[in-house]
Amino acid sequence: MAEQTVAPKAQEGLRDKAAWAWVVQALSGALLMVLAGLHMLAQHFTAKGLLRYEDVVAWLRRPAIFALETAFLAAVLAHALAGVRAVLLDLGLDPAAEKRLTRALSIAGAVAFAYAVALTWSLAH
Amino acid sequence: MQGQGANTQSAGARRPGQLLQGWFDARGRHVGNWAFVLNRISGLLLVLYLVAHLTVLSLLAVGPGAYDTFVAAASHPLVILFDVGLVGLLVYHGCNGVRLILLGLGWGLDRQRELFWGLMALGAVAWAVAGWVLVTHLLG
Repeated sequence: MAEQTVAPKAQEGLRDKAAWAWVVQALSGALLMVLAGLHMLAQHFTAKGLLRYEDVVAWLRRPAIFALETAFLAAVLAHALAGVRAVLLDLGLDPAAEKRLTRALSIAGAVAFAYAVALTWSLAH
Repeated sequence: MQGQGANTQSAGARRPGQLLQGWFDARGRHVGNWAFVLNRISGLLLVLYLVAHLTVLSLLAVGPGAYDTFVAAASHPLVILFDVGLVGLLVYHGCNGVRLILLGLGWGLDRQRELFWGLMALGAVAWAVAGWVLVTHLLG
């Protein structure tokens, strides 16, 4: 499948998978510009030096920080896995392999998200 | 200048080696092609960093001893230098991403070269500021 590097044309809508991939990549990327900045501010520039264990736990107990980190994690996983998919599709996979790849990356993303949220939740509560 | 990627249409199956060879083939290349290749490389490096970052954060589950030992090691100046390089990758990837979104939406199609270099200049300033803040903050 070809990687789509331009936005879907209006008349094509979002019926094409490549159009969906472009929208996911663009939206998650735009969101990351904001969330990555907030993540850096919240985790790395609020105290002198790197946060130690107790500081991290205290931060994660704040609902706003927990929500920010969860949203950041979701956006970064979606963007990263969509990017990996685009690179692998450049290898010229057939439709069946493309389907398996999309499914495998979706499962990997869901597992990573669930694990990271469970870890963060257990630390915060 | 070509605003799209080096290979937007894949012609049949290719091996990873052929894909990489295509990325670094300098013949007939424009700035947009190199921007595409750098975007792919910076993206893959950032994915590797993401995996490492999430793995390191798993130390939080082990306990304060394991995590704080890592934090002490991560405060070494060489690691901070690595962090500055990482921020550079992030800034390049972000600026080029903004360019791709704008072009994808049909904005700046007739000013692609200016758009690229304008965003790169903005990115260089952002990198310098972020690098300075990072170094002064982490080294005290």
